[in-house]
This record gives sequence, structure tokens and C-alpha cells, in this order.
Amino acid sequence: MKRMSCEHETEVIRALHSGEWTEELRRHMANCEDCSQALHLAEALREEASRAEIDCNPPDPHWILQRSRRMAREIALRRMAMLLAAMRALAAVYVVAAAGWLLHGYAELQYREVASTMNGASAGFALMGAMVAAVCVVAGLFPILREGGKSLVLYPSRGKNR
Amino acid sequence: MEDARTIAAWIMPGREQTAAGEEGFRRLYEATSRPLWGYLQHASGRPDVADDLLQETYCKFLLRKAPAMDEAQTRSYLFRIATNLLHDRYRSRDDAALEEPAECGVETDQEARLDVQAAMRQLKPRERELLWLAYVEGMSHAEIAAATGLGAMSIRILLYRARQKASEFLRPQRMKS
Repeated sequence: MKRMSCEHETEVIRALHSGEWTEELRRHMANCEDCSQALHLAEALREEASRAEIDCNPPDPHWILQRSRRMAREIALRRMAMLLAAMRALAAVYVVAAAGWLLHGYAELQYREVASTMNGASAGFALMGAMVAAVCVVAGLFPILREGGKSLVLYPSRGKNR
Repeated sequence: MEDARTIAAWIMPGREQTAAGEEGFRRLYEATSRPLWGYLQHASGRPDVADDLLQETYCKFLLRKAPAMDEAQTRSYLFRIATNLLHDRYRSRDDAALEEPAECGVETDQEARLDVQAAMRQLKPRERELLWLAYVEGMSHAEIAAATGLGAMSIRILLYRARQKASEFLRPQRMKS
């Protein structure tokens, strides 16, 4: 059977911390080797803790707050950088797919069938719409793809936040 | 009482951005940083590691959006973060360095201090943690289990073994005095 500590040990330690000793606990202490040993060890450790506090010179809490805010900003920036990286990857995929479609799919388009369904005004309107869409897509992709290189320079230590 | 109110105000969500939040954190820090440093120093055996982990503990505490807690829970939560960081450090490449003897800084009651420090150094890190949390911090077995990640049922027996071992290493005359 495993040897276990006395069940009153926790009460003894609590009494040592609070200074509130009951008569019953004192009587128990006088006869219990386990509790007596625990008490002596606790006293020795508490003395050591008091001495150690003299050595302790914790940094200014304001500095800790500043550091934590800096860390929070870095974490937020890293998350944004990851999101941007994902967007860049999608943009690159889109550019490749669009280029492929322009080279192959667009060339195979049945212009006559499309043209037969449109009159002059609607064809012009569709062409203008397609051009506006293309300009918007390129305008959106250009900064994302261009900033990709810059963010790699800004956050080279991604994942080394400790 | 005023301290408790300020700390409680700080513990509420959205705390750290306001001036009152800063004041609350300052009080929480003043109330807990020295005991936490003592724990880290004696569990790791290294004052420099304790300095480092103390800062990291509070930074992690501030970064995590913990639910609203009372003062005792906050204190327990800080010790849990500190213990996790200690375990990370044990697992890291600095593992061996943590076992180096600690230097003593103050000359008061040097002999008694060396006794306790020498006894602590003979123990495993886990045993030091248990003894410190139980006897210095006065935590219950459930609180120790929460702070160390051990099962609540095993704390009693582990603590008993650690106490037996520490008592053997402490000078007999000190234990009898």
C-alpha cells in the first residue's frame, strides 16, 4: 500500500499561512510526525521565500505593458501578413487562369453565335463592361502582387516572436 | 480593499487600454510579481531565468483574452502560465543549464539559506514546483493541479514524496530546531 501524507496536512499549512491555530490542530501537531515535518519544511521554505524577495528586482509594470502591446501588434501584423500572402497566392492563380483563358478559351469563343444575340449597342456595352472589369482586376492585383515583395522584407522573422 | 477593487476592475474585459486599467495592472503586478519571481527562481534554480520568465508570464497574461476572474483565480492563472513557461524551458535546449547551482545574492542568514537552496537543488524541477506551490503559496491540491497540469488525485502522493526527499536533504539539526 502506498504511504500517504496525513489528511490534516493541508489544514496545518493553511493555519501556518493564516496564523489561526485551533487547539485541536495544535494537539494533532504534537503527535503527528507527518504534519510536524510538513510544518518545519514549510517554515524553512517561507523563510527562503522572504529572503528571495529581497533579491527580486522586477521590471517596471509600464515596461511590461509596453512590451505586451508591442507583441500584440507584431502578432496582428503577422496574421495580416499571412492573410495577404494567401490573397497574393490567389491573385497569382487568378492571373495564370485568366492568361490561359485569354490565350486559349477566348480564341475558341464562337463569336458569330455571341454576336447574333447582340445588337450594336449591347455589344458595345458588353465590351465596355469587360474592359472596366479587366481594369478593376488589374488595379486590384497590382498592389497586392507588388506589396508581396515588400512585406517579405518587413517581416523576415515570421514565426520567431520569442 | 481598494487594491482588490482596482485589480477586479482591471480583470474585466477591455482592461489594458485605459488609464484605470494600467493602474489596476500595476497593482496586480506589485501584488504578484515577487511571489511569482520567487517561485520561478526556486523552481528553475536560476535568477536570470526567473527574470526572463517573469516578464514573459505577464506578457502572455496580457495577450490572452482570459475570462473574468477574481483575485485568487488571477493569481492561480499567473502561476499556471509561469509553470507552462518553465516546462517549455525545461524542454528547450537550455534544459541542462537550468540544473546549474544558483548563486546567492544576499549575505543574511547565509547558512540557512544555503541549506534550503542545496536541498532544493537535489530535487527534480517538478518536486520543487509542488513544494513551493503547496508550502510557500499555500495552494490547495486542486489549485496545484490546475497550475501544474497534473491530476488532482496524484498531487497528494507526489507532494508527500517530494516532502520526504526535501526533508532528507535539509540538515537534520535544522529540521529538529
